[in-house]
Amino acid sequence: MAEMMITDHNPALIRRSRWRQLRAKTLAPYVFVLPFVAIFLAFSVYPMLFTLRLSFTRWHGSGAATWVGFGNYTYLLTNPSFWASMANSGILWLLIVPAQIIVALVVAVLLNSAKTRLRGFYRTAFIVPFVTPLVAIAQIWVVLFDQNYGAINAGLNLLGLPNIGWLTTSAWAKPTLALLFAWKTTGFIIIILLSGLQSINAAVYEAASIDGATPYRQFWQITVPLVRRTMMFAVVLQTLAVFQMFAEPFVVTQGGPYGSTTTAGYYLYNHITRADLGTGAANSFLLIIFVMALSLGFVRLLRAKD
Amino acid sequence: MADTSSRPRAARMISTVGRQGLLLVLTLAFLGPVVWAILSAFKPANSIIRNPLSIDVSQFTLANFAEMFHDVPIAHGFLNTGIVLVVKGSMTLFFAPLAAYAFAKFRFLGKNLLFGAVLITLMLPTIVLIIPLLLEMKELGWVNTYQALILPGSIDAFAIFWMRQVIEVVPDELLDAARVDGCGEFRVFWSIVVPVIRPGLAGLAVLTVMNIYNDFVWPVVAASSSRMATLQVMLSTLSQQITGNKIGADYATVTGELLAASSVALIPLLIIFIALQKHFINGILAGSVKG
Amino acid sequence: MTIHIGRVLGLGVLTIATTLVAGCGGPSITGGDGASAEGRLQAPDTASPSGEITIWDREGDLFQVFEATIAEFNKKYPDIVVHHEAVDIASKLQNTLITGADVPDGVFLDDQLVAGYADHLWDLSDVLKPYVNDIAQQKLDVNSLNGGIYGVPFDLDPGLLFYNQTALEQAGVDASAIETYDDLLQAARDYKKAVPDSGPIHLEQAAFLGQLQLEMYASQLGTSIADAQGALRLDSPEYEQILGFLDTVSKEGLGTRAEYLSSTDVETLDSGKQVFYPWAIWFDFAPTQLLTNTSGDWRAMELPAWKAGGARSGAMGGSSFILPKDGKNSQLAWLFYEFLMFDEAGYTAVYGPNSVYPGGLNTSIPSYVPAANPDKPLFEPVAGMGDQDLWAVATAAGEQIPGSAPIPAWWSGAVDYLGNNLQKMLDGTMTPRQVIDQSTTDIQTNLIDRQ
Repeated sequence: MAEMMITDHNPALIRRSRWRQLRAKTLAPYVFVLPFVAIFLAFSVYPMLFTLRLSFTRWHGSGAATWVGFGNYTYLLTNPSFWASMANSGILWLLIVPAQIIVALVVAVLLNSAKTRLRGFYRTAFIVPFVTPLVAIAQIWVVLFDQNYGAINAGLNLLGLPNIGWLTTSAWAKPTLALLFAWKTTGFIIIILLSGLQSINAAVYEAASIDGATPYRQFWQITVPLVRRTMMFAVVLQTLAVFQMFAEPFVVTQGGPYGSTTTAGYYLYNHITRADLGTGAANSFLLIIFVMALSLGFVRLLRAKD
Repeated sequence: MADTSSRPRAARMISTVGRQGLLLVLTLAFLGPVVWAILSAFKPANSIIRNPLSIDVSQFTLANFAEMFHDVPIAHGFLNTGIVLVVKGSMTLFFAPLAAYAFAKFRFLGKNLLFGAVLITLMLPTIVLIIPLLLEMKELGWVNTYQALILPGSIDAFAIFWMRQVIEVVPDELLDAARVDGCGEFRVFWSIVVPVIRPGLAGLAVLTVMNIYNDFVWPVVAASSSRMATLQVMLSTLSQQITGNKIGADYATVTGELLAASSVALIPLLIIFIALQKHFINGILAGSVKG
Repeated sequence: MTIHIGRVLGLGVLTIATTLVAGCGGPSITGGDGASAEGRLQAPDTASPSGEITIWDREGDLFQVFEATIAEFNKKYPDIVVHHEAVDIASKLQNTLITGADVPDGVFLDDQLVAGYADHLWDLSDVLKPYVNDIAQQKLDVNSLNGGIYGVPFDLDPGLLFYNQTALEQAGVDASAIETYDDLLQAARDYKKAVPDSGPIHLEQAAFLGQLQLEMYASQLGTSIADAQGALRLDSPEYEQILGFLDTVSKEGLGTRAEYLSSTDVETLDSGKQVFYPWAIWFDFAPTQLLTNTSGDWRAMELPAWKAGGARSGAMGGSSFILPKDGKNSQLAWLFYEFLMFDEAGYTAVYGPNSVYPGGLNTSIPSYVPAANPDKPLFEPVAGMGDQDLWAVATAAGEQIPGSAPIPAWWSGAVDYLGNNLQKMLDGTMTPRQVIDQSTTDIQTNLIDRQ
C-alpha cells in the first residue's frame, strides 16, 4: 500500500491520527462487506446447506426424508439421461459461444470505429432483444420455425431448398434453440467487448498503420490479443449462462423433441417438478461442481498464456 | 480501426457499404422478432394463431389490450415491480460497490475466501435454491411479502464482481490524499470513490434495473398470491396457458393478451434504455476489463 | 478476472464440513402433516356457514367462467367471501404445498396431476358419498388413490371423432358408416385415393399430447398405463393393438403429423388435407375460432370402436378441484365446489351461456351424470360445426367411457419415455413392440423405482 504523504510536522499528532486511521482501515473492510456477507449467509449458504443435506435423501415434499447416502448421486452418474443433458448443454455451448463471440467481436470492432455512422442507434438496436420478455418471443419463434408454414422454411423454399423440421427433429432443434439464445444475449456480449476495445490505446493502431499493417492483420495481431481477457470474461459468463439455461427450452420446446433440448438446467428442473427433490438437489451439486471446474479451466487457460 | 486514408476511395466506399450492410442486416435480425411481437399484439386474437406471419394494418384492433387491461391487474403489477425495483435496486447499487471497494482496496483476513463466495454465488443456478429458499421464507413467515421478493439476491454477486474491476483502477494516491485530509474510510468511499466511478455506477444501474424488471423465476414462486404478483409474474401466468400443453381451448385470446401485456411491459424499459443509453454504454466502458 | 482454485475449494470444504459437523443444514424437512390417518374432510355442520376462501384457477377462459359463478354461489351462501385468483398453477402449487404457507382452499388441477399431490390433500370420500353413484366412473377412478378420493370431479372429456363432412362428401366417403378403427383406416385410404396429397388422420407430434391421446384410446379398452396398484401394464394386447393402428396410419401415409393446432396443423385442417381428428371434445375450439375456410364443415361423432360392439369413447384430459389439507377453510371450499358441480343452479351457471361462451361452455361436459342429461342440453349447438347438437353427441359418448384406473403420480414424467418413444415409432425408428419394451424398462427404473 502506498506510503502516506506527511504534511504535518507535529509528531505526536501524526502518531495519534495514524493509529486511528490504521484502526479504521483494519475495521472498515469488514463493515463494508458485512451487508453482502449477511445476505449471502442467509439466502445462499443456508439454503445451499439444506440442498446439500437434501441431496443425500429421498424426499418428495411431504413426510420425513429417508437417508439414502450417495444413492442419488450414483443414480444420476449412472443414468444415460443425466449425461445426455450435460451433452446437450455441451453441444449448445459449442453452437452458441464461439460463433457468438466472433460475431460480437466483429460488430464491436465496427461499432468502435469512428467511421461507422449511426453507432448509437445500432448499440440500442442490438440490446433490445436482451430486454424483451422471453415469453413474448417464444411464440414468434415457434411460428417462424414451423416445419411447413414458417417464414424460415418459406425462405428456404424460395432458394429451392427443402423444408427443415427446425423444432420437430432432434438434429435441428438444438441449433434453433441456440439461435434464440444467441439472439437474446449477443447484444450484451457486444457491449462487454466494446468496453474492452475502448481500453486499447489508439496509438497502437497508428503505429501499426505506419508500419503498413492491413486492417485484417491489425484485427488479428492487435485487437484480438488485446481484448483476450475481456473475451475470456465473456466466455466464462456465457458458459455459466448456457449450463444454467432453463427458460428458453421451457417456453419453446419443453425439452423436446426426444429430449434433444433437455439442457442441464432443464433436466434439473424436471426432478423438481416430479417432486423428486433429493435427486434434484444431487443434480444441483453435480452441476455446480461441473460449472465451477469449467470456469476454473477457462481461467487457467487464460492465465497460462499471460 | 486504423486510419485507411492511404487506400483508394473506391475501396473505402466498398468497406463503408459493407459494414453498413452487415450492421443493417443484423439490426433487422435483432429487431424483427420484437417488432413482430408488438405488431401482433394489435391483430385480432385468432388471427395471431391463424395467420401468424401476416400483418394487415386494416385489421388492427385494440381488442387484445382491452381484454388484457380487463383481465390482468397490470397497474398493480407495475406497482409491485416498482417497489421491488426501488428497494432491491438501491440495495445493490449501494452495498455492491461498498463491498467491491473493500475487495479492491483493502487487505483483510478472509478476503480471498469471501471473494470466492462472490464467485460461487455467480455460479449458482437460481432453480437450485428455490425449494430451500421457500422453506426458509415459510420459517421466517415471509411468504407473499415484499421482503421475500426483495432480499434474496438483493446484493448481486455480478455487481460486486464488476464494481471491483471498476474500483481497482481508481488511483490509490487519490484515496490516501483524502485520508491524510482526515476523511474516515466511509467518507473516502462516499466522497472520492463514488464520484470517480459514477459512469460505472450508471451502467450498473441500468443493468440492475433490467435484471430486476425481467426477473421471473424467483418471483413466480415467492409470490403465490396475486396481490404480490410483479409484472413478469403476470406475464408468466398468461404464458403458462399457451406454452405448456395447450389442454383446454381458449389460448388464442390468452396469446393476444400475452403479447399485449408484453408490449406494455417492454415500453417503459425501452424508454429508460433509450434515454439512458449514453450513460449505460459509457458506464460499461468505464468498467472495462483492461486488455 | 482472477479465481483462485484454493479459495473456492476452501469454501466448498468449509461448507461441507459445517454441514457434517453441525449435522443440520437448513430448515427441517417435515413438510405437511405427514401420515395423519384422519385426512377425511367433513362437511360443515352449521346452518349458515361464513368465512373467506381462496380459490385458484388457471388463467384464461375457465377463470372467467368460474368468476361469473361466484355471484350465484353467494345467493345460496351470502356469508362466504370467495377470493378468486388466476394463478400459474404449474409453477406454484407444488411449492406452496411443500412449504405449507398461504395455501389456497381449493385449486383447479389437471386430472393427471392429482395423484402426485395426494399426500397434501383432503380425502373427499365422506363429503362425496351422497354423489358418488351419480359421477362418471372414469372421473372417480382417476381421482382415487389407495381407497381415498382426492379431487372433486369437474369435467368429463369424451374423445370424439371430428371429421370434415364437406370434404369427405366431395371425395365420396361416407363418414357415418365408420364403426371401427378398421373402418376408419379404410375411409382414410378412400379419401387418400381421391385427394392424393392428403394425410387424412391426425397424428399428434407433441410428446405430451400424443401420450394423452394414447391414453384416450386405451381408456376405450378399459385400460391405462398402470393398474390400481401402480404396476405398469403397457405390455398388453390392448396397447399392441393401439400402437399397431397408429403405426399403420403412419406407414401407409394416411396421417398428417403435426402438433395440436400448430401452423402446420391449422393449415392442413383448413385445406382439406386433414379430415379425421380423433380428439377430446375440446377440439371444437378449432372449427369455432381458428378454421376460417372450413368452419361449418366439421362434425363430431363417437370414436370408432376397437372391435365391433366395443365402447365408442374414451377420456382425454379433464380436470378436478383439489382441497389442500393446509387450507384455512377447506370445509367452505367444499361448499363452493359442491354448489358448482352438484347443485343445478351451480352447474347451469358453469356450463350455461355466459359472457365468455355466449352459447355455453362447450369444451367439455359435466361429469355429474344428472347434469349431463342428453335431453337437457346446457350448451347450445355449435355454429362452427354446422349447428350440430354437440351436447347430444358428447353426452352419449360420455356414457360409454369405461371405468379406469387411478392416474399414477409419475404420469407426466412418463412423457419423456412413453411419449417420446411413441414419436419415434411415428418417425419409423421404433416398432410398436420396441415402444412397449423400452418404455416399460425406462418408466420402471426412472419413475416407479424412485417414488
